Amino acid sequence: MNKKVVVFFLVLLVSVSLVLVGCKKEKAAKVVVEEWEVPFLNSLTGAIASIGEYLQWGAERAAYEINQAGGIAGKPVKVIGVDTALEPQKGVVEMGKIVEWALVALGPVPEPVIMAAAPIAVENEMMTMTATTSLEYAEKFFPWSISWFPKTADRLPPLSRAWAEMHPDMKSVVQFVGIYGPWPGMAASHVVGIEEVGVKYLGDVEVPQDAVTFGPLVVKALDQKPDGVIISCWPDKAAKIVQELKSRGWTDMEKVLLFSSADDAALYTTGGADLNGTIIYNYINVDQDTPRWNAFKEAYQKDHNGLQPPSLSTNYYDAVYMIKRAIEETGVTGDPKKLAEERKLVAEAMLNMKNFEGLLFKWDMSNGVPTNKPGYLFQIQDGRKKLVKEIRP
Amino acid sequence: MSLAMYYFLTISAIYILMSWALYLPYRVAHLHFLTVANMLISGYLAGYLVQSLGFAFALALVAGFVAGGLVGYIVSLFIGDAPTFTVVIVGFTFIYISRTAVENIKAVGATMGMFGLPMVAGTPNMHRLTILILVYALIVVVGFLIYRFEHSRVGRAASVVFVDKDLATSMGVDIKKLGRLVQTFSSLIAGGCGVIYGFIYRSYHLDFFTFHLVGIFMTVIFVGGYTTMWGSLLAAPALYGLSLILPPAVASWRIVIYGAILIAVLVLKPEGFITRRLAYTLETTLSRWRKR
Amino acid sequence: MQVFIAQVINGLSLGSIYVLLATGFNLLLLVAMIIHFAYPQVVVFSMYIAWVVLRYTGNSIVLAVLAAILSSVLLNVISAPLFQKIMKNREEVDINTTMVMSLGIGMIITDILSHGFNKGLPIAFPPKLVGETPILRVGLISLMGGQVASLAVGVIAVSGIFLLLYKTRPGRAFRAIAEDPNGARLVGIPLLRTGLESYALSGILGGLIAVLLAMLLGYSSPGLGEQVAHKVLAVSIIAGLGNLAGGLVVGLALGIMEALVQGYISGSWSNAIAFVVMLLVILFRPRGLFGIKL
Repeated sequence: MNKKVVVFFLVLLVSVSLVLVGCKKEKAAKVVVEEWEVPFLNSLTGAIASIGEYLQWGAERAAYEINQAGGIAGKPVKVIGVDTALEPQKGVVEMGKIVEWALVALGPVPEPVIMAAAPIAVENEMMTMTATTSLEYAEKFFPWSISWFPKTADRLPPLSRAWAEMHPDMKSVVQFVGIYGPWPGMAASHVVGIEEVGVKYLGDVEVPQDAVTFGPLVVKALDQKPDGVIISCWPDKAAKIVQELKSRGWTDMEKVLLFSSADDAALYTTGGADLNGTIIYNYINVDQDTPRWNAFKEAYQKDHNGLQPPSLSTNYYDAVYMIKRAIEETGVTGDPKKLAEERKLVAEAMLNMKNFEGLLFKWDMSNGVPTNKPGYLFQIQDGRKKLVKEIRP
Repeated sequence: MSLAMYYFLTISAIYILMSWALYLPYRVAHLHFLTVANMLISGYLAGYLVQSLGFAFALALVAGFVAGGLVGYIVSLFIGDAPTFTVVIVGFTFIYISRTAVENIKAVGATMGMFGLPMVAGTPNMHRLTILILVYALIVVVGFLIYRFEHSRVGRAASVVFVDKDLATSMGVDIKKLGRLVQTFSSLIAGGCGVIYGFIYRSYHLDFFTFHLVGIFMTVIFVGGYTTMWGSLLAAPALYGLSLILPPAVASWRIVIYGAILIAVLVLKPEGFITRRLAYTLETTLSRWRKR
Repeated sequence: MQVFIAQVINGLSLGSIYVLLATGFNLLLLVAMIIHFAYPQVVVFSMYIAWVVLRYTGNSIVLAVLAAILSSVLLNVISAPLFQKIMKNREEVDINTTMVMSLGIGMIITDILSHGFNKGLPIAFPPKLVGETPILRVGLISLMGGQVASLAVGVIAVSGIFLLLYKTRPGRAFRAIAEDPNGARLVGIPLLRTGLESYALSGILGGLIAVLLAMLLGYSSPGLGEQVAHKVLAVSIIAGLGNLAGGLVVGLALGIMEALVQGYISGSWSNAIAFVVMLLVILFRPRGLFGIKL
């Protein structure tokens, strides 16, 4: 009797194992594409071409690593850069072509093109990974979009508060605000944070988009006798404002906070050593010491004359890995006949992905919004960022 | 019809209409850059009426036309017979003013823009079909009106003004009235275009209306031909389409290519590809063929 | 009061940019009857050339100045026949065709700068060119060497060009060719040589302006030319086309007005207000405040 029971369970175990193995084999065998093509609607030419370049670089770096490691479900992945040149009229035509075949798309970049082209993706129920814009833009296209950032009103106050807490003697702050896209909203969130610790907000100094000299704006700011300054505008203009502050006697550089959107090569090439000592916040810790990040950093610096990777350069790198995980977890095949169904599967997998292993940290997605992503305060020294504080939500 | 083709056709149509909107005042030698400001003002107005006040699209479109025409008319009272330089400055001024105003008005989304404008018809396909029909119907109507204008006494008077203002005055042409007419009509067209442009995207953003647009429409007129209306009809889709079909390595240099085309045309074919003589030849050939 | 003085100085600094560019713009008008809308872009291109030379020669300012001048002269001389070909009526300014032609040139220059230099990123000039410390600082009032130089040179340039064009034989020859080429030929003025000299003069001024702007701003970007082109055109029109002295006054006044608006009202409204004021002026004085001098 015992022998029969043992044999029965053995047979059951073997059968179950065979079924499981068979299923896996069936999954692997079902991938019909020879190569996973992922289009990336990006601004590769035009005013923000320099940003588009490193976003593309990040995505292609991920594709390279994935392919070195065997690809996605055994097939290589290719990121196809689609240039929208910051023109919505180009973006819509390109998105119109992409929705006919793509499983998922990266981008669009930046906001004007998102607004024009993302509705097309929504209509065709295709996920677009707008990994460089704020939640306030991305959420308009949920659930066919995904945000890389939590709500601005939740995300930014802790960062500005942490900066204010570093300087208990800082009683009042003035802020330079670039009048563009989500920046006024971000500026308002900075104010919330500093006011939480009793710092008085003296007001905005609006920076016009075509400002070429910054003396008038800086004099206006300094006339209010602030103890601290926040700069929320274009990177090159932010650098010039810092230089102008210095030329008018500002010495306490730690009491100058630059926001994350200013963290771009243009800031460092324009500002140079004048930026030394200023504080900047961002979402990746460049001083982290992990093999994966070190490899990324080394490769970036090799291709970019030693420059540190900007924080946004990791966003589409992570996005490509997220696509990999979504495809492998859902077992999609890339079969054009199943495009609609597989788009849904991939989108659903991403919207609530847990424990996603990003380049620098793990995070969870909850209905397309990341939770538990850290922020960092850095001090700029000789073109490099030195970690000052990590802020966890 | 594919989505890509739909967007190509609708946006080309907007380019044609806006080029005509610039072409008309140029008949009296005015570079009427106010038209881009008209697009912006009427577009955002229509967006606000539809999204915030629940107006029907048709009403909002009419409001857009009216707003464009009104702005154009009021401005033309001052610059109907002004020198070209003044008209240029007026255009720049209104572009700056309208952009700054929108940046500061929260009700129209300020710097964030307006999202998710409702469809003009029940389903996405009907929405697109409606926009497509609307915009090409406008091309027919506006084209007809411009054609009639060109073949009228007023149109001939405009030609004289272009060549020699003093001669036109001595022949009894009321330059101010003529200027007012073309500028008002031009702004009216631009207002309608602004509304439709936003509803093609179902959103409005300030960066949809930039000085860059001025450059595009001027290129269309001068490459297509500024002496007749037919040049814009060909040049608009050609120049827009060129940017879409160039291979990526070449496409990254497309602005240089546009600039070079513009310069080459100005030097080699100053009147543009479709000259008045060519248009006249084609017209007479067509009418002879019809008579047969 | 200190703030007001500081803002006026800021305004003069900003205004000197407009004066320099408007002077070069007016010079081309006077010697060639061209509305070169893209003149600021030509100057920005020369700034980039200067930057490249500074990088590769260990910050040799002399070589950078020479390179800036040479590039500006070359661009002018290359574009000269294009402009001359398209002008219908050589005796009058043809804003329409020359403006469109210069738009095309501006598009090309801006795009080349976006592609071919520093990966499209802004460029920064070495601190020793810009001046590391202010030459005067009293509270909020700050005066850098570059600001003084650009204002001084702006005034000198206007005076010098005025004297050249109106008080010297070569200057009169330049104007004669611009106003009536046939008449100029009849009185024995060599057209080709004099025409080239006039373009070269404009190029020399453009190169000098490029270096001065480098000293004043300390940086440049591909879009810098486009950002100021509208205002430069407006300054020239408001002052009166070809009016050098008028361009000086209006350029400085515009700079001061912008600085005061940014300082006391709002940065985002500064352009709109500046253009409204200019618009009102031109509506009441269509020939400009100081009259056309062509």
